Amino acid sequence: MAASNAAATRRKKRNGKPFSKLFVAIHVLIVLLPISVIAVWACADRWQWPLLLPEEFSMRGIEEVLFSSNGQGLAVMGQSIAIAFAVAVLTTIVAAMAARAICNYTWVGRNAYSFLLVVPFLIPTTVFAMGVQVLFIHAGIARTVFGVILAHSICALPYAVTIMIDVTRAAGTRLEDAARTLGAGPLRSFVSTTLPALMPGILSSISMSYILSFSQYFLTLLIGGGAVRTFATVMFPYLSGGDRTIAAAYGISFILATFVVFLIFEWLLRRFGLGKRTDLYG
Amino acid sequence: MHLTFDHISLALSGKTILDDISFEVADGEFVSILGESGAGKSTTLKVVAGLIPQDEGSVLFDGQPVDDLPTHKRSCAIVFQDIRLFPNMNVQDNVAFPLKMQGVAKAERLRVAQEMLEAVKLPDMGTRRVHELSGGQQQRVALARALAGHPRAILLDEPFSGLDEQLREEMRSLVLSLHERFGMTSLMVTHDPDEALTMSDRIVYVSEGKLIQEGTPADLLLRPRNQLVASCFGDTSAIEGAVAEEVFRVGKLEVPAPEVADGPAVLVRVQGSVPFVHSLEAPAAALPASEEGR
Repeated sequence: MAASNAAATRRKKRNGKPFSKLFVAIHVLIVLLPISVIAVWACADRWQWPLLLPEEFSMRGIEEVLFSSNGQGLAVMGQSIAIAFAVAVLTTIVAAMAARAICNYTWVGRNAYSFLLVVPFLIPTTVFAMGVQVLFIHAGIARTVFGVILAHSICALPYAVTIMIDVTRAAGTRLEDAARTLGAGPLRSFVSTTLPALMPGILSSISMSYILSFSQYFLTLLIGGGAVRTFATVMFPYLSGGDRTIAAAYGISFILATFVVFLIFEWLLRRFGLGKRTDLYG
Repeated sequence: MHLTFDHISLALSGKTILDDISFEVADGEFVSILGESGAGKSTTLKVVAGLIPQDEGSVLFDGQPVDDLPTHKRSCAIVFQDIRLFPNMNVQDNVAFPLKMQGVAKAERLRVAQEMLEAVKLPDMGTRRVHELSGGQQQRVALARALAGHPRAILLDEPFSGLDEQLREEMRSLVLSLHERFGMTSLMVTHDPDEALTMSDRIVYVSEGKLIQEGTPADLLLRPRNQLVASCFGDTSAIEGAVAEEVFRVGKLEVPAPEVADGPAVLVRVQGSVPFVHSLEAPAAALPASEEGR
């Protein structure tokens, strides 16, 4: 009896459950504590140090976010989401095709192309933005939504390509070859077999590109030239200006909007049966 | 379908993989490509299926060149060594996949899939996910999937190499019975001489991309063209079978056994000497196998 109790204790120790629970709790606190402070700030009117809770509450911040500039708040949020979504889709499609070309085909210049795709990693956004601004002015796409989408996409591409190369290499062409011998054409075999295997990577790439675009401030300001307003460009003056209530309201709206969009991505993947469990990723 | 592999040569990354290989597989015949690892066996199958285009020579189906025909229009299903079931589909959908590609209505393709699963002795597995099956069951599903679309030829790329010995034996019997039932042209790659000897109507022996010898199992066993082929069959293992009317038989291998009594017998191969048949019922009747072939 004593022996079995000792064995159970050893198993319990090996499982490391208390440690993992503690670790998760610390992790959750690190993420949720700052967010909860921001959430309280978004509804606080007066909150002086060292008081634990605000003295007065008001919806001034939320109203500013949603209905500022003659009711433009929601429109700015909508435009930000639309731009970020377009960037996410465009970047992921380009990254997926580039990854396929790099991983599955042998051609002259493949290594150089592979390096070129990650070059934006090496260039600071400010330097890149100034160069791109001149180019876009010449091309007539500065101060346009299209220009902003393009500039954001170039910035997001290295991240998306890095993710997509990993999943494309892991998926390989094994299943596609099998599908082709069973009568599936090139597109059909890709859609039926490789695409589901790539889906976790595609979701990561979309999420990463979306976040990169949605939180982009300097590039949007320079390329958009004030004509294209996004959530980040509207929020920034409040952050630097010291109005914590409005800045916190923008912050919370930012997190909520991103969370809702990610839920929609997940739902879409499940809706079209592309997010199903695979052997590759479990 | 009559398959012709006509003077095929192929080099990949500057290395010769196939060097002027020619052979034929008659309609409904079961031919094995035997050889050591890296001999070009699997590449041969991929050239037949159109997955790798050859540099020289031509592949003909029923006398017609198919070199410009893409893989999905060649109707040559491959059963791969690493199985390659689609993890995003259940067993039934995997088996029905070739029929779906042919535009067969859902009800009909599910009926055929069930029929095929029954043929490979997995009638109740249709709704299972593929990762829930054992290795042997997965290979059977792959076999059912390859057969479901009624391809013109079935290509087997070392289909039993990942299985344990008992399962290999079961799968060999299953493949042979399905080959007899469906009667389609079959080309199998193997590095196992026993497998080639007992399953094939004919064997094509390749080494370093060259065809060394082609013939019946008895031809290669009793009259190897060179030391390479002889040493392939020349280990000290024995094949169990039976003698009837002075012919030793196991699977498709037939070796003359003059003056050996009918009944269980063993074909013994010893390095450097002629294989001989030994009756398991009458120890005295152990005589060398005839050189006459079948």
